[in-house]
Amino acid sequence: MKEILLVLIPTLTLVPTAVAAALAMRKISSAALEGMTRQPEIANQLFTSMLVSLALVEALVIYCLVVALLVAAKV
Amino acid sequence: MQETVAPHLPYIVIFNLLVVSTVLIGLGIAATARPLKELPEGRQNAAELVLEWFVTQARRMDPGSVRLIAPFLATLFLLIFASNLLALLPVPLLKIPPTAYFSVPLGLALVSVLGGVAMSASVRGIGSALKHLVWPNPLQLVGEASHTLSLSLRLYGNIGAGVLVAALAAQAAPYGLPLVIDALELIPAVVQPVVFTLLTASFLSTAVHREPGPGKGGEPTTKLKPGSPLSLESGRAQ
Repeated sequence: MKEILLVLIPTLTLVPTAVAAALAMRKISSAALEGMTRQPEIANQLFTSMLVSLALVEALVIYCLVVALLVAAKV
Repeated sequence: MQETVAPHLPYIVIFNLLVVSTVLIGLGIAATARPLKELPEGRQNAAELVLEWFVTQARRMDPGSVRLIAPFLATLFLLIFASNLLALLPVPLLKIPPTAYFSVPLGLALVSVLGGVAMSASVRGIGSALKHLVWPNPLQLVGEASHTLSLSLRLYGNIGAGVLVAALAAQAAPYGLPLVIDALELIPAVVQPVVFTLLTASFLSTAVHREPGPGKGGEPTTKLKPGSPLSLESGRAQ
């Protein structure tokens, strides 16, 4: 039982989060790339904004990773 | 090897952080050893190339306090960047990046948030800075705490996970594979300090922002001299 939980908790926590984050990142980066190709003169500005947005999305996955690790350590 | 290293990890991390700081301070001293010139060349040029981005960021936030904000952002960026790059060194104990040990990112995030409050106090005055923390919404205080948590967890998660993956890869295939993993590690090693600095800058820009007062408006309080090393654009012919 313990082994099953140890496998299930991180998987069930991380996989949906990773999928959701991937969808969000797809939208962010495609929008940023479209903007960059349309207006190359503000490409630098858009790139930094894109990095910040990606980091904000990524942070959610990392929260889930930390929670998964904490819970898996308790099991 | 893991068992022998683990109890000494805090000391190793402190030593590595000291090594990184010493290298950075040495580079800073080397870059400013000669008297600064209006038209930079050699080392001064390289140093200004690094600092220009931070000066631009700081000037966009508050033109009056570039001297306060730009060094803060540049220090955070360079320290995190150099710490991350330690993971690429082929030296056994020195290759543990300090940012992969949670206390260091937590300390950096605390410095970033508390430094933001301190800078806000020095630019707008203590009362206004403290008021900004709880007014118009007291939950902003919680927001500051969560900034600390998110900044530190993001940095630690990325770099720590990278170190973990590199260790696992080295166990699985000691030759060849670690090189590929190290090359991939370069991406978070560069992106994470940028993100950390940008987020600090964006928190700072709300904290430092001055309400346009009567008459004075948002005018910069101190003008930079055209010849000073911090006024990059103004000294350059367009």
